[in-house]
Amino acid sequence: MEKVLMKGNEALAEGAIRAGCRAYFGYPITPSSEIAEYMARKYPKIGGVFLQAESELAAINMVYGAASTGARVMTASSGPGISLKQEGISFIAEAELPCVIVNISRGGPGLGGIQPAQSDYFQATRGGGHGDYHTMVLAPASVQDMMDFAMEGFELADKYRIPVMIMAEGTLGQMMEPIILRDPVTPGYEKPWATTGCKGRKPNVITTLHLPPEELEQRNRYLKSKYDLIKAREKRAETFMTEDAKLVLVAFGLMSRVAKRAVMEVRKRGIKAGLIRPITLWPFPDEHIVEAAENGAKLFLSLEINMGQMVEDIKLALNGRSRVEFYGRIGIIPNPEEIVGVVMQIAEREGL
Amino acid sequence: MASTIIFSGGFGSGKSEIALNFTLEKKGEDNRETILADLDLVNPYFASREMKGFLQARGIRVLAPAGELVFGDVPSIPSEIIGLLQQENRIIIDLAGDEVGAVVLGYIRDYLLKRKDLEFFLVINPYRPFAGDVESIKELKNCLEKASGLNFTGIISNPNLVEETTVQVINDGHNKVLQYAEELNLPVRYLTVEERFYEELVVYYPQLLKKIKINLRPQWI
Repeated sequence: MEKVLMKGNEALAEGAIRAGCRAYFGYPITPSSEIAEYMARKYPKIGGVFLQAESELAAINMVYGAASTGARVMTASSGPGISLKQEGISFIAEAELPCVIVNISRGGPGLGGIQPAQSDYFQATRGGGHGDYHTMVLAPASVQDMMDFAMEGFELADKYRIPVMIMAEGTLGQMMEPIILRDPVTPGYEKPWATTGCKGRKPNVITTLHLPPEELEQRNRYLKSKYDLIKAREKRAETFMTEDAKLVLVAFGLMSRVAKRAVMEVRKRGIKAGLIRPITLWPFPDEHIVEAAENGAKLFLSLEINMGQMVEDIKLALNGRSRVEFYGRIGIIPNPEEIVGVVMQIAEREGL
Repeated sequence: MASTIIFSGGFGSGKSEIALNFTLEKKGEDNRETILADLDLVNPYFASREMKGFLQARGIRVLAPAGELVFGDVPSIPSEIIGLLQQENRIIIDLAGDEVGAVVLGYIRDYLLKRKDLEFFLVINPYRPFAGDVESIKELKNCLEKASGLNFTGIISNPNLVEETTVQVINDGHNKVLQYAEELNLPVRYLTVEERFYEELVVYYPQLLKKIKINLRPQWI
């Protein structure tokens, strides 16, 4: 099959189109803007709706409205814009509206910069807005993943009636790789809850207001049970050379590719290192971490493009079973040599 | 080769890598005063300004957004460009993609037209989105010419799938670009390929072929 050369942002947008998404609402921000630009160019030709909203708040509420009709709908932004969307995301999670929200992330806090980062990990995996809720979070590591995860994101969103976030570092949005274009799918999920005009049936009502305390608690218990089901079924990770590893690197997104190179290099030098790449950041693949510890990993090294966030989930997963260390940069993706240096230093100190 | 060379095209068509290579090659040939103007004001990812130190060490002046704006995405045009365009020198201009990238030329168009020889190249990689058929390319060409107020003088054929490029990928892609060129009534001036393909292909394209060293793409991808 002939490949095409795409930027991550373009591949993600094309993946959404191939998943049947025909509505995009957004407000541009570097390094995510190519997603909006791609939709703006493509939708007029294929009968989709591209709307540049007056703000991120407006955009996310347009997503709320469009998703209420059962349509596949998407928005994309970067850190500061994702923060603005949080109120709407909380409403969407409570109303159980399927949609895809993309964060092509850059360094914060505040305006920060526009260089790559993974520092929105806490925001993405802890819900991000008010109330007890989660979004599913997928972390692509290649341009092909950007297309595939966009398509998968819509499936998961419909399956569990949950907002799905795709989070990728700015560099992954901007860089180009040759990819295979996937076949378009026809969305097949029944959506009896959608507000599609109530001819011949009772009106569907989508609301997030639950004033009686019993009703509110029941609602939260119900959402909790849904999150437990997703945790039981959907944890995903890629493992590499972990079977006999004494030292396990944990890295997601583009960073995992750098880490993989580093593992291959230190293996040549006789260090028994391995890699776990979380693909779902929520639910966090804690069982993969525990399994590596049970196989004899003494030490885990969390590699992140932030100041140490996923490292907490690794510690929670291990619950004291093995030691956990952290190495991170921000705005800069370390190269494999830098990681090899860090690993060799640890290996020497620990006598691995 | 002209004293003013501008590379324009779609996003990700290869403009920055090609501009860097042309700049180094021309400077190496005649040691004439050479300026690389990085006018990519859309965003700083994979822009030729990343090579500023390397180029300066080789006597090439790099014009790019100043100070911390190097890392920014604001429309900051290096102020010296107006003065430099009125002097004797060689200026190579690297733009951001699409019409949003070419629009900056509108601002310096009058100075560009006063220079005695001007090359305005349309860089095409037919494996990129919006470059896969003649209609898209026609639309791109019209948008770029309208935004810049300049007419293209030639095409640079840059068919590649980065690491997955093969001789066949180059040949098939180049044939497509030749068809575009005919439809657009523009000459293909160069066929750019990575160094590793040069020996094998130079016999087939002795006039057109130019080898390119990749500078901006991280090795670990």
